[in-house]
Amino acid sequence: MQISLNWLKEFLDIRLFPKELVEKMNSIGLLVDHWEEKDGDVVLELETYANRPDTLGHLGVARELAASLGIPLKDRKFPLVESSENISDVFDVQVLEEDLCPRYSGMIVKDIEVGPSPSWLVDRIKAMGLSPVNNVVDITNYILFSTAQPIHAFDLNKLRGNKIIVRTARNGEELKVLGGEDVVLSQSMLVIADENTPVALAGIIGGEDTAVTEETKDVFIESACFDPISIRKTWKEIGIQTDASYRFERGTDISFPPEAASMTASLLTQIGGKALKGMIDIYPRPRKMKTVILRHHRVSELLGVDVDEGFIVDFLKRMEFRLEKQREGTWRVQVPYFRVDIEREADIIEEIARFYGYDKIPSHIPVLQGINLEVNKRKEIEDKVRDLLFHEGFDEVVNYSFMDTEQEKLFKTGLDAVEIRNPVSLKASLLRTTLIGGLLGNIAWNVNRGTEGVHVFETGNVFFKKDEKYFERYTLGFATTGQLGPVFWKREPEKSDFFHLKGTCEELMRYLKFEDFSFTVEENPFFEQNYSLCLNFKGEKIGFLGGLKRSIVNTYSIQEQVWAAEINLGSLLKKQPKPFKYSPVSRYPGIIRDISFIAGRGISYQEIKDCIEKLMIPYLEDYVLYDRFWGKEMAKDKVSLSFRFIFRHPERTLLAEEADGFQEKIIKALNTEFGLNLRGGGQD
Amino acid sequence: MVDLKNKIRALRSSFDEGLAQAGDKDSLKELRNTYLSRKKGRITLLLKELKNVSPTERPEVGKQVNEFKNYVAQKLEEYSKTLEEPRHIKFDMDLTLPGKRRYRGAPHPILLYKKRIEQIFLLMGFSIEDGPEIETDYYNFEALNFPPHHPARDDWDTLYLSDDLLLRTHTSPVQIRVMEKKKPPIRMINPGKVYRRETPDPTHIPMFYQVEGLVVDLGITFAHLKGTLECFLKALYNEKIKIRFRPSYFPFTEPSAEVDIGCTVCRGEDRQCRVCGGSGWIEILGAGMVDPQVLKNVNIDPEKYSGFAFGMGIDRTAMFSFRIPDLRNFYENDLRFIRQFS
Ligand SMILES: [Zn+2]
Repeated sequence: MQISLNWLKEFLDIRLFPKELVEKMNSIGLLVDHWEEKDGDVVLELETYANRPDTLGHLGVARELAASLGIPLKDRKFPLVESSENISDVFDVQVLEEDLCPRYSGMIVKDIEVGPSPSWLVDRIKAMGLSPVNNVVDITNYILFSTAQPIHAFDLNKLRGNKIIVRTARNGEELKVLGGEDVVLSQSMLVIADENTPVALAGIIGGEDTAVTEETKDVFIESACFDPISIRKTWKEIGIQTDASYRFERGTDISFPPEAASMTASLLTQIGGKALKGMIDIYPRPRKMKTVILRHHRVSELLGVDVDEGFIVDFLKRMEFRLEKQREGTWRVQVPYFRVDIEREADIIEEIARFYGYDKIPSHIPVLQGINLEVNKRKEIEDKVRDLLFHEGFDEVVNYSFMDTEQEKLFKTGLDAVEIRNPVSLKASLLRTTLIGGLLGNIAWNVNRGTEGVHVFETGNVFFKKDEKYFERYTLGFATTGQLGPVFWKREPEKSDFFHLKGTCEELMRYLKFEDFSFTVEENPFFEQNYSLCLNFKGEKIGFLGGLKRSIVNTYSIQEQVWAAEINLGSLLKKQPKPFKYSPVSRYPGIIRDISFIAGRGISYQEIKDCIEKLMIPYLEDYVLYDRFWGKEMAKDKVSLSFRFIFRHPERTLLAEEADGFQEKIIKALNTEFGLNLRGGGQD
Repeated sequence: MVDLKNKIRALRSSFDEGLAQAGDKDSLKELRNTYLSRKKGRITLLLKELKNVSPTERPEVGKQVNEFKNYVAQKLEEYSKTLEEPRHIKFDMDLTLPGKRRYRGAPHPILLYKKRIEQIFLLMGFSIEDGPEIETDYYNFEALNFPPHHPARDDWDTLYLSDDLLLRTHTSPVQIRVMEKKKPPIRMINPGKVYRRETPDPTHIPMFYQVEGLVVDLGITFAHLKGTLECFLKALYNEKIKIRFRPSYFPFTEPSAEVDIGCTVCRGEDRQCRVCGGSGWIEILGAGMVDPQVLKNVNIDPEKYSGFAFGMGIDRTAMFSFRIPDLRNFYENDLRFIRQFS
């Protein structure tokens, strides 16, 4: 809220330059966001905390400064001009809901001339960033910003039956509030009513029909205390937050309503009114001051510094706490009513720390006690994934976790998307079920800005619903399109393709030590037909990859083919990577055999691979496919496959005849199984 | 005479082998002596044997011996030349042409910054913990001492999934989850994504990264909070950075503090400074002693144990460190932006 320096001076003699004042306030936790000099005043923008409603008025701020600077608050007088009439003879207040309205005070001032405010009051109202309305309304606002006690003034002659009833609303009741809006009331709402109907929503906003106008002569002043939770629920339900409800929902000083009422009445008599004698004050269950036990040793135990007993006692007394020494080092502390936030010893220790000065507390590094140094598995896998993808030339991106219903329709993940109840916008109404939508957005953005090749990855959660339960799945997504790597003058840059994507998947699985992975051809709604694989590990599908459907890519206005993959890292985290084991390097020469086959095009590499591996050839160290071609002189349905086999014995030189035997075995098996023939030799 | 022909063949292959192994001038000289010495050279001996060959075969065998002799002499000559002077190849390439580069991917700046923060805390002996992004009201608010209907909840604009489920508004729920499982001493940080119901603008975004930390042990004090955070901030920025602790409020800490660092742009001398707003200070961390009620909620006795907690927005801190004017830059994922951080 805004704090005016001139206004503060009504409460205490401040002789500080604005900059010094700001520093002082910051040091005790009254954070000044910024300040400016304005019309002979200095206005501070104060950040207030939810637990300190007492600082929502100048008095509260003045109290803090008084205690901190060691100067007294001024004794202010609010004299009344009284008429001969007694309030109790002409007006009645009934509180039917004591829990929701623990205190209700009221006064009446008659014969007021409603008009513009005096200039001192206009200045105050303007300092709060408000426009003056009329003297009566401005006075109630003045009391609110001065003391943090909201005040409401009713036009007395519009209250029917000369009475106020504080009750809950009846079903179907309505109230036209200030500003003209009709609010439909419900039974949980506390209202201020006259004999017939509600005239105000308690603690939130007054009714239009009983408001003070230019014609008003006599007013009823309401100064009350309402239950914070009830106020909060009601304003949330009707959607109207006011300066009054902002204070009531945070808690107000229950001891203060009578004083605030007579301050208001005093100011109204200054503009010509006459106050009726006496005051209505309904306070059926007076509250005791809260009591807290404070132990001196706990102060140093929590703050790490010895705070002198004298300082504690002096300071707490200045803050209007009442202390009673129980025994050496222990006090019974009574908390002033205006501090609704203080309930426990820790709260009082915080007060001591604030005024002792955080800057005077020393800095120490705690002595390290042994803790169980567990490696964070998620972080470990994240680090490795990032490491590998950087190496493969992928840039890292972070997208929002949201998506919209259009995206949900476009990407048929088969997952039930989680809805956000109160989304910021419809574009962000669901939680994403795939990372690929975000990645495609990134590709479109960058291609449109002239980036030649875009290769991006993201690690993060996707979310879904299943059987009314919500799940999040830690996922890696990556997508690639266009040229790979920087331009080089010696030759055209290579372009990304499916096998770049697949190679990255393979490298990743090896790098993570999940080596027994396999791919199976599987259709997927993300990808073109015959253009997608499923990645499997230990009998579980843990990812998919392929060439994205043209219809999907078109939605993002991307011209080039895009390849994308998604891998379920969450499920990999639950699996055991292959433990590392060193194996000695053979010192004996290996025998290399290059063999080219002619195979039918219907036979997949995976089938050939499985067949070779099933043979369990001893000393077959490795084998690679180093060439594959078709066309030219070959039959249309054939393809040439060239393999290089490396045989090696760990403990001796392998004999050529042994290698011949293994080679024969492989050739024979592939011939029997798939009809593979040697190229350029044998039967051909 | 077949016998002599075989001998030539054998000598030839042993010469080749010898030549292949000869690595310097001395061994070459030795090889020359072995084959061409006038007295005992192997070829000299061969020539002497010629006279035992029948006259009809002698011309042909003699020719072969001579050919072999020339062969040896020539090879030795060639090889000694290569030993004397290095081979000359003519390099005529324009070496000022650009080198061949390979592209290495770049990290996202926020995750780069997150890692930097993690590294510092790992060095200080903290563990790293994580938890779910979908949270219950209990873990996100109640266990952290936000009563239902408390206005403090308004400072954490929340995205709700149901009455009880929400997207976590801070990473603090992870601290509750860890304290439920582990006994003190606890020394941890918990970085991660958090969500707020905010419309994106230069200083607000609906999703961002936070890192929070927690220390719970016997005898932990506010002085420890100060010492630890000063140590961290000096490591993150530099030894000379100005640090200020001032009182603040969080429902889950008591006493609470906010930590500011001195504005490195204007050094507190420009009331119009756009980085610090003229105050000379930049708010960087929230912190405090763990509220006794929070410890009670996880069955840790606040009379016996105490602790401190702290938290900071990674995006905001990175924004300040890299002098990025708009938080939304981080989530555009423009590669011209990201690749600067490689
Ligand atoms: Zn600055």
